[in-house]
Amino acid sequence: MDIPIKMIDIVTIISWIFLIIFSVSAVYSIKDLTFNFGVSQLGTTSDGKILFSLPIEIANKGYYNVGLFNVTTIVLAENSSVIAEGSTLIPTIGKGETVTVLHNMTFDVAHLLQFNQSYLFNDTQLNTVESVSMRLGGFIPVQASGNFSIPWGAPLYNFKLGEPQYTVLNFTHMQVTVPMSFDNHATVDITGEAQIRMYNSTNELVGFDRIDIEALQHSHYGGNLRLYAVTSSVTQTGWFELRLQIGLFNYGPVVIPYG
Amino acid sequence: MVYYVCWLFLAPIASMIPALQQSIQTFVVVYITLIIVGELSAGTVYQHFFGVANSLFVVAYLIFSLNSATVSMTYQGVVLMVDLRLFLVIAMLLGLLGLGKSMLQAINFASKKAEQTPI
Repeated sequence: MDIPIKMIDIVTIISWIFLIIFSVSAVYSIKDLTFNFGVSQLGTTSDGKILFSLPIEIANKGYYNVGLFNVTTIVLAENSSVIAEGSTLIPTIGKGETVTVLHNMTFDVAHLLQFNQSYLFNDTQLNTVESVSMRLGGFIPVQASGNFSIPWGAPLYNFKLGEPQYTVLNFTHMQVTVPMSFDNHATVDITGEAQIRMYNSTNELVGFDRIDIEALQHSHYGGNLRLYAVTSSVTQTGWFELRLQIGLFNYGPVVIPYG
Repeated sequence: MVYYVCWLFLAPIASMIPALQQSIQTFVVVYITLIIVGELSAGTVYQHFFGVANSLFVVAYLIFSLNSATVSMTYQGVVLMVDLRLFLVIAMLLGLLGLGKSMLQAINFASKKAEQTPI
């Protein structure tokens, strides 16, 4: 029985040495995995969502291949509901390889506004959970995660509708001018249209206007909505109904009483 | 020797896990002590008892030190988690193999002793 015992002994020792050396060197390889983040790009998709793209360069200078490399970004609203989520998977990063991928995430502003419309008008910070997972040597799963904040710029920051100005055009018609202004703090341009309807005290539609809106990112917008109303239809009191139809979201109707 | 070589690789990680160095040193001290005591009792059945104890110590140490086999640490606001379940299973199998070897050695020793004992 001595020989089988010796064989088991040798196999056990060799297996232990291989296991320890592999595990230690695999964990040590983590420090030879480097990440470089490029400049993020913002755009819009064909269905009116914001597309956030971040190029990531991963260099594997460790001893083993890295399998199932996954980057996941989750953006949360104030009540911890998921606003946006993006995930990028690389099946294998070979030893000595450098891989560049685009980490994409679509952001539905209309979906965000379902949680709180104040995101249209107030700048804030959005909570983001970032996690990176991989398998070292295809054997040891490793995951790193962290919580971060990303700034949210309101697209209609400081939104204002000025006092209506009434100008008599002729014996039958008058012009009603309503100034509108806001600051686009978002990182995307805003294009769309604003529609305004004027109703008198008897709920009769007395005037309508629409204007195109184009506000570049981080810029101020100021414009006038002009309605042409039959003078006899305009009453002392009534209300305006404003709607904004922007490519990324719709806002309104907002009811503004006058008189 | 293996300990010193592996420690060269683990030293940077030990700074992130404060208890790692003490944990590994405790294991190495107890393991070597059991080996030395086993060698000191060579030629007796107690040598194999210490061999069995050594194998059981390795298995028990792995189970208790790795807890749920997932090691988690927080470094500069980032939570790093390493799943060592497969490693733990393989290590436990090797530990059980060592335990089986020690028991076979004890049985072999006892049978040789019985053969030598005149009736």
